[in-house]
Amino acid sequence: MMAALLLVSDCTPKSLGDLANLLAVIRDFLSLSLFSLGGGNTLLSEYHYLSVSEYCWISSNQFADLYALAEAAPGPSSMLVGLLGMGAAWREGPGWALASAVVAEIAILLPSTLLMVIAALSWNRFRDSPWRIAFERGLGPITLGILFAVGLKILHTADHGVPAYLVSIVVCVLTLRTRISPLWFMAIAGVLGGFGVINR
Amino acid sequence: MSEPKAIPASVPSPEAEGLAPPPDHWQLFFGMMQVALSAFGGGLSAWSQRIIVEEKRWMNNTSFLTGLTVARLFPGPNQINMAVYIGARFQGLSGAMAALAGMLLVPFILLMLVGLAYFSFRSLPLVDRLLAGVVTAAAGLALSMGFKILHQYQRDPVALLLALATFLAMAVFHIRLIPVVVVAGPLAMAWYWPRGAAGPGVDR
Repeated sequence: MMAALLLVSDCTPKSLGDLANLLAVIRDFLSLSLFSLGGGNTLLSEYHYLSVSEYCWISSNQFADLYALAEAAPGPSSMLVGLLGMGAAWREGPGWALASAVVAEIAILLPSTLLMVIAALSWNRFRDSPWRIAFERGLGPITLGILFAVGLKILHTADHGVPAYLVSIVVCVLTLRTRISPLWFMAIAGVLGGFGVINR
Repeated sequence: MSEPKAIPASVPSPEAEGLAPPPDHWQLFFGMMQVALSAFGGGLSAWSQRIIVEEKRWMNNTSFLTGLTVARLFPGPNQINMAVYIGARFQGLSGAMAALAGMLLVPFILLMLVGLAYFSFRSLPLVDRLLAGVVTAAAGLALSMGFKILHQYQRDPVALLLALATFLAMAVFHIRLIPVVVVAGPLAMAWYWPRGAAGPGVDR
């Protein structure tokens, strides 16, 4: 924890105007794309590492904000990457921020999309292959472990203080036990924040 | 199975099953846009099934469920993979791109508006206080992800051990995702390699 905090305070944002930085970012997202197991949520801690610690585009609190906004917004998961791309270039102005958002989203989606096209066209050939079976059974438990690590990481990123942790745990339990829409949880927690019950 | 074409040979002719003719690029684009818009309150794959299978009759339910299986198996967001699967099946790579664009266009524009609003107003004290609350609920959702699939592995101690090792590697030893998957993935695949398939009696 301490090491992570020191890193954040030390680090200066890398400008995307520099072509080398831009290419490094695109390369990072392209290579992460094929590791988005379990629907993409396994990448959350990598996103945090890249955008907060490695490239210093945003603070840890902002990362939590963007994660929450991406969860609340309609549409498929992975949209968080668009928001991170926007944060990466916000200093350079809204036009650059939008362009950066689009580039980041394309980079994270392109490799997995191409692989999916191949899978869709050749599924009949390898549906019974031992590789497919071993991949499906083997990567399941790995995904499970990653999701727990990612959940804990988001928890530490978002929550500061006892009331915050209590709300997160209650929301976690209610999400597992009921079918209440997550938007209700966010709205109620937002009100609690507005009245100063939850601070950071 | 001899000709490698976009339309699987196992599917009988569309008319015989009461299916619509294969959609073209624009139909894929607007069909996926309709799915994305219908699902704004949540439940994307249910909407996708209702629109693709029941309303538009592009594929039967079996093909749709196969698509979902493939979409969940491969890397990438499930709903996006499903759109890619549908597009690719009917029109190949360009169809996949059309379906993907249809699914993403409206949600992405909305997301960009949300992002612009956030980065413009995040320093207002009230916005910051509201978000300080909202993020705790979002963290609760993130925490629930692992618990949601935990029950699938309750009877498999090796799976739980693999999950625990992966968790410790990331959460305690702070090893990055790619090295974790590159090391743990092949080990897990070796353990779960279907040995029975080579044995007697199982002939495939």
